Amino acid sequence: MRRVGVVLGAVLAASLGLAVEPGFAAGADQLFAENCAACHQAAGQGIKGAFPALAGDAFVQGDPGQAAFVVLNGRGGMPTFAPDLSDDQIAQILTYVRSSWGNKASPVTSAMVAAARLKSKPDDARSALQAH
Amino acid sequence: MSNLIGTPFSRRNFIERLGATGGVALAMAGMEALGFGIGSAHAAPPNLSGSAKGKKVVILGAGLAGMTAAHELGKAGYDCRVIEARSFAGGRCQTSRAGFSLTELGGQTQTNDFAEGQYINHGPWRIPYHHLSTLHYTKAFAIPLEVFVNDNDAAYMYYENGTGPLAGKRIRKGRMTADMRGHTAEILAKITRKGGLDDQMTPADRDAFIGYLISEGYLTWKDLDYVGTEGAGFEVLPGAGIDPGPGQLYTPFPFADVLHSKLWNQLSSVARFDMQRTMFQPAGGMDRIAKAFESRVGPRITYSAVVQQVRQSPEGVTVNYLDSAGHSGVANADYCICTIPLSVLKSIDMQVSPRFKQAMNGVSYAPVGKIGLQMKRRFWEEDHQIYGGHILTDIRGIGAISLPSTGWQGQRGVLLGYYHFGADAARISAKSPADRAAVALAAGQKIFPDYQDNYETSFSVAWHRVEHNLGGWAEWNADGRRDDYPILCEPDGRIYLSGEHLSYIGGWQAGAIESAWQQIAKLHRRVQA
Repeated sequence: MRRVGVVLGAVLAASLGLAVEPGFAAGADQLFAENCAACHQAAGQGIKGAFPALAGDAFVQGDPGQAAFVVLNGRGGMPTFAPDLSDDQIAQILTYVRSSWGNKASPVTSAMVAAARLKSKPDDARSALQAH
Repeated sequence: MSNLIGTPFSRRNFIERLGATGGVALAMAGMEALGFGIGSAHAAPPNLSGSAKGKKVVILGAGLAGMTAAHELGKAGYDCRVIEARSFAGGRCQTSRAGFSLTELGGQTQTNDFAEGQYINHGPWRIPYHHLSTLHYTKAFAIPLEVFVNDNDAAYMYYENGTGPLAGKRIRKGRMTADMRGHTAEILAKITRKGGLDDQMTPADRDAFIGYLISEGYLTWKDLDYVGTEGAGFEVLPGAGIDPGPGQLYTPFPFADVLHSKLWNQLSSVARFDMQRTMFQPAGGMDRIAKAFESRVGPRITYSAVVQQVRQSPEGVTVNYLDSAGHSGVANADYCICTIPLSVLKSIDMQVSPRFKQAMNGVSYAPVGKIGLQMKRRFWEEDHQIYGGHILTDIRGIGAISLPSTGWQGQRGVLLGYYHFGADAARISAKSPADRAAVALAAGQKIFPDYQDNYETSFSVAWHRVEHNLGGWAEWNADGRRDDYPILCEPDGRIYLSGEHLSYIGGWQAGAIESAWQQIAKLHRRVQA
């Protein structure tokens, strides 16, 4: 449902001729806000000692495959997003992150994310978390 | 959560999976016998006989691990001091009731405004009967326990992402269980009687197996048919006289409908060892345990003191901290027991070996969210006869809705509106408290028509955004357990780590307590040497 909503939103924005910020697809900012901003914060500034900043971060602006791998598999306190986000959604989010808040790195394609997904062993993506 | 989800169904692999399930159960029993199980291994604190030799121990963190260490070492004569970042003790062992306030990192402040007597255990909330260590202290401290209803046949299951006529329908767990078991037993019994398993069974075993299946599925003796069973429940409850008289049993759902619903995916969720009955909770809130410890070790705790740096030498340990007024303080001791979660500790300047420091990165911390919703009427009891237990659902972001195991037939109640992990927790935690409640209410409304109308107020937590915790609990993958965990279990010089993260009962209070017991025993042996 939500995925449909995102697509509809993009279609609506396009049909209404709304200005779309260049560098990332319409709706990418919303995907970031929904999935990432709780920890990395709305402007990618993170919180010192808790959540890494994405703004100005070298890793984020480095190899797209490695960045996609982390989104897919999680790291430290970051969960795996492999079951929840499509290759295209992850590509949109990463492209948004790599072109916002002063970041200037190349766009990420869904093919790059798909390649990273192939490298992820199912065991690497953390299994469904168990309730306590 | 079953791992059967989404796998293509065939009769052959279904049988194989049933066999595999038996194998797992047997393997688990073997592991228990060898002491590798997930049950709690110790029933009592270590015997710290001998002399404390005037040694001082600084304990970082007044959660259950830290307070267990302070309590037991204190009894043995050690001079303990506890440094706690918060203004109250308990760590994650918290209960939110009126006045309780929480500001998540990057979030707005919530102050609980539940009615008198209402609460939510937003941290640990249940105690399995085999967590002997937790139960040791509830008994020793005379904390009254209630049964926590962890499985309820009357509770609804609700899956909206299955297919077929049962998708998006609420169905009581007992009914679903009876139909799944009945249909499965019927197929197996008929295959077996036809000789389908003759190559792996003696005739005597085959007859015994069919006997079991008849009993298991309430099958007809002659034809081995599943035609429904009383255990599934009644369309019309039996009663007096002619009407309702015998009542009306539910007709079984067709097996295909049951399978397509995917509801069976949840039937094993409370079969895990740490989910089995009997489950307990302290009467009045989980923080009764924290308060009981605090009443014993409170005078040794320095509150609102955030550790900045830990240094050690061959002579001792020095801890520098900042208090809430921004003043620095120092604690010197012979030894340190550090219970700070690794998610937080890895950013603290602690003088340990590079390998020890590196090992802290071998673990991840679980994003976890819970929300308590106060309802003005206990409609789940009054209208649906559901007394505690979990509404198991696949509504995105919810995980489970759980009904309170206290205050039966009272006026109000606080239910758990969601309990989610991972990416769901990340997503929902980006929302304001009001929007989180809206997500929870929209989900509950699909199952209970009176849900939103009865809602009064909420309190939510996203543990990954809680300062001093940064996650619900530690999660070790196989590599981390092998390479890093053993390193952190041993002291680095005079510094001993402790907490649920250094146990195989992770995420449970028993893990914190038993880790503390293990580390103080080591420390005491060293002092005696």
